[in-house]
Amino acid sequence: MPDWRAIARKRLGPLALEAKRQEEIVIELAGHLEDLYSDALRQGRSHTEALQSAFSAASDWDTLRREIESAVNEEGIMNYRVKTLWLPGACTIALSGIVLRLLQNPSAPSPHVFWLRQGPPLIVYWQWFACLPLVGAIGAYWSRRAGGKLLERALAVSFPVLGTMGLPMLILPFMLIFRWLVHRDALLVPSALLLLIWVVLPEAALLVGALPFFRGAADESRPAAASH
Amino acid sequence: MKEHTINIGAQVKRGSAELAILAVLADGPLHGYEISKRIERQSHGLLRFNLASLYPLLYRMEKRGWVSGNWEGPAGGRQRRYYRLGPAGKRRLVPLREEWGQLFRALHTLAGVNHA
Repeated sequence: MPDWRAIARKRLGPLALEAKRQEEIVIELAGHLEDLYSDALRQGRSHTEALQSAFSAASDWDTLRREIESAVNEEGIMNYRVKTLWLPGACTIALSGIVLRLLQNPSAPSPHVFWLRQGPPLIVYWQWFACLPLVGAIGAYWSRRAGGKLLERALAVSFPVLGTMGLPMLILPFMLIFRWLVHRDALLVPSALLLLIWVVLPEAALLVGALPFFRGAADESRPAAASH
Repeated sequence: MKEHTINIGAQVKRGSAELAILAVLADGPLHGYEISKRIERQSHGLLRFNLASLYPLLYRMEKRGWVSGNWEGPAGGRQRRYYRLGPAGKRRLVPLREEWGQLFRALHTLAGVNHA
């Protein structure tokens, strides 16, 4: 007996749908192919003829995939993106921002200030870094629960860095070039430290917390009732 | 002009397919393969659904609340997704039947006039 699920999954390819829904569709289509195959065998056809009968039910899998995506997302490709990316992302950026804002309160512990030879001082909120793994974990858990794939989970977790530092980091190279042209001094060390403290370390902290929720994607969300 | 013609064709095709599915589900819940076989049998082989014509339409109808799909089957046995007519589907079936009845009566009348 052919592995109809593997066949359907391979021919259909990845769908732009929630992992759970995608797996349900694969199982359903595989069941249909299996029924066609079994019926053909019952009618006395050979294994090869029965296979041909099953495969004749869908000759153009690319069109089928597009049609299914269009049908399932009829009311909301936005719904899927909102559930798996924008809401968890908004949550992580809000939590991160709230923690940072609280730490900037006069009554909060003082941040670590590094005075450099050049450029502005670097302010480091270690307590903020300590909270970021929890923020990342919440974002990744939310996205996974909503059916988000690895990319959506990773992006949702990275919202605090992308949202707050994305634009400054895009502008930074131009600022460095400008400064080099005007002052012959690109402030490379302060820029690298800025990048480290506001991008690399926060992103790493977020990802550390999110890591456990990057695992167990489609298999965990597969409907238990939908097994052969 | 060509695009307009194609659109009408697609709408008619989809409309008739929706009617066929709703009509067979009016008799009781069925899974996808049963729906296709039932339609084929009851239309004496004139209407046939394949994966590409059946499932996207079923998912679209489910999205609209016309049908609802649930996994059912014996414990430890093969599970299938059974589709049932929802209240919205029952409401939709009545005017669809009427519209298609009118269309066929009109076509019949038109064909009669042309033949005269």
